[in-house]
Amino acid sequence: MAGMLEFDGLSRRFGPVTALDDLSFSVPSGQVVGFLGPNGAGKTTTMRAVFGLTDLDAGSVRWNGVPVGATQRRRFGYMPEERGLYPNMLVADELEYLGQLHGMDRRSAAISTKKWLERLDVGDRSTSKVETLSHGNQQRVQLAAALVHDPEMLMLDEPLSGLDPTGIDAIGQVLLEQARAGRCVLFSSHQLDLVEDLCESVAIIDRGRLVARGTVDELATSGGRRLAVRVDGDRQGSWAEGIPGVTVSEIDGGEVRLVLDGSTDSDVVLDAARSAGRVTEFAFERRRLSEVFREAVGQ
Amino acid sequence: MKALPFILAAVAVVLLVRLGLRRRGQGRSSQLRVFTRGLRDRRLLGDTGLVAGREIRERVRGRVFRVVTLILFAVVAAAVVIPTIHAGTTTRQRVGVVAGSPALDEELQKLATAVGLPVELVRETDLSAARAALSAGYLNMVVDGSGTILVENPVSDTDTSTGARYVRTVATTLGAQQAFAQAGLTPEQTAAVAEAKPWPVQSVHPGKKSTTTEEATALIGVILIFIVLTQYLSWILMGVMEEKASRVIEVLLATVRPGQLLAGKLAGIGAVALLQALSLVAFALVLAEVVGANFVHGAEPLVVVATLVWLVLGYAFYSWVYAAAGSLAERQDQVQSLALPLAAPLIFGYIVSLIGVSSGSASLLVKVLAYLPPTAPFAMPTLVGFGEVTWWQFLLSVALSVVCTVMVARVAARVYRTSVLRTGRRVRLRELVSTLGK
Repeated sequence: MAGMLEFDGLSRRFGPVTALDDLSFSVPSGQVVGFLGPNGAGKTTTMRAVFGLTDLDAGSVRWNGVPVGATQRRRFGYMPEERGLYPNMLVADELEYLGQLHGMDRRSAAISTKKWLERLDVGDRSTSKVETLSHGNQQRVQLAAALVHDPEMLMLDEPLSGLDPTGIDAIGQVLLEQARAGRCVLFSSHQLDLVEDLCESVAIIDRGRLVARGTVDELATSGGRRLAVRVDGDRQGSWAEGIPGVTVSEIDGGEVRLVLDGSTDSDVVLDAARSAGRVTEFAFERRRLSEVFREAVGQ
Repeated sequence: MKALPFILAAVAVVLLVRLGLRRRGQGRSSQLRVFTRGLRDRRLLGDTGLVAGREIRERVRGRVFRVVTLILFAVVAAAVVIPTIHAGTTTRQRVGVVAGSPALDEELQKLATAVGLPVELVRETDLSAARAALSAGYLNMVVDGSGTILVENPVSDTDTSTGARYVRTVATTLGAQQAFAQAGLTPEQTAAVAEAKPWPVQSVHPGKKSTTTEEATALIGVILIFIVLTQYLSWILMGVMEEKASRVIEVLLATVRPGQLLAGKLAGIGAVALLQALSLVAFALVLAEVVGANFVHGAEPLVVVATLVWLVLGYAFYSWVYAAAGSLAERQDQVQSLALPLAAPLIFGYIVSLIGVSSGSASLLVKVLAYLPPTAPFAMPTLVGFGEVTWWQFLLSVALSVVCTVMVARVAARVYRTSVLRTGRRVRLRELVSTLGK
């Protein structure tokens, strides 16, 4: 079921606002891809463009090299940012209906509905009205609505927002399973720690343009080497100032984070630290995704 | 016997509600599912059929629909049954005849036919036996050939029931005939006098003629159209708004085209509306036949058909307008500001037609409104009721309405497509015009 979703030169303006500015990247199947960016960066517009919910001024979205149209969308699953279900319908009825709209017959829609409601721990609510469910359970039903027709590509706009840790685990687990099964999974989120745990790779956009793209490992190890150093008696990290080729990136509770340029030896840093006091911590570090993100969007 | 119509009405209502009831789990094979299965079959009607099927299922299952349907059936039952009770009984009356003659029998039967009362004459040997039978309730009245009429209770002059009118007519006629005989007229002369007709009285200005049965049917038809249209059009308005407000529209439009979604919604709600209107009409006709209500004999098939045709045309025209309006709003208060201007032509057409029907003549205004698609659904059935329209005029108005509906539908579908995904504040007309102009 391997496939590839490609965004090619997407541009969209809303009056004076540029939502998408020649945005291009691709999303391969078989991995969970995080779609990141500050508020208003164009994530939702990009996702809506895939489903024809917003017009594009230029560019195209392709699935396996073919421009996405009604036929392709049938095999996509979508969870919009502002959740959308008929509040008065019974949960199972609603999912069966959406399954049928995606081309399933009644029988397979009913079987799939039951499977997904049980998989997401809301099987006992199948005969309840959607509006009577808690926020977390509605979110689970919304995910089931995106999955009921067994889509080749899953696109989820903020699927984890407002969920408790159990809900996050449950939904995260499903996303990983889908990727393992060879589906294409793209989801947006502001919870960067969760994205770091869940995603193999990320795409970061800002003001409608792609600013970073790669696996989490690549992005974490790119740039200079990083050190975390703690010296007794100098919580402000003043010892580190002025070492050539070394930048202080963060000082947090006595722990000083440093970025070393390519030519600087870590021994130089260790010597400087020793001369300031007793060194209680000296460790090489990966960049955290939040740092990658801040750097990429220039914050 | 009087309870029979009420029992039948109650049974009909219960059956209808049960049909709409779908119990989950065990309702899988209910008639409703069978009915909508065809609509949901993708191969048959595609996504539009699926959407229409959902509308029908969800609407019929809703509490509002059941309550409103129950009320409408109750109102129709009351409208049919109450006048028959008020008009008194028309069941066969037993008239005892003492000291009768074949001529008297003939006269009594003739008068009964004239009044519209079926009577059975019972020959009585003497007055006291007849009086006893009357007291026992076996006889309804007794005519004594010697010149007396006996009834159980006094008959008031204001009682307009057929029974009372018969008693008064018999008393007056027999008294007059006796007077003619005493005056020495021959039977031929008596007959000539009896057939005397009053001189016609003519007025300079035409008076209000009494309502014909066609007009009565048209009146009921116009009211039915108004009730059904206002109810189901508001469903469309709210339904489209709710899909936008709940954002389910994004999930739907990710796989269904806006045109299919809209057409399915209108077809589904329209099917429920037509089904309800047809069952109300059928229920009224059957009930009226059972209780022998007057208006069933006057329910002119032509007017009934015209009413149903214009119900469909009126729905087709307005449903697009209401759907487009619903797509502009996403909150209750925004919808309310749209509801009144939308309903204005509907209410205008309804009131003008209603006044037309009750005044007994079609005004020039009604004749003009009958050719304007927004008001024709009320004005045209009214004209049909007055018999003031030829077949080609009727067809012309139908054609105008169809052409206009197609044009309105095209604009409405574009408005819907443009507005339904725009959230936040209400979409302004100016923005729409600029978008549509592109």
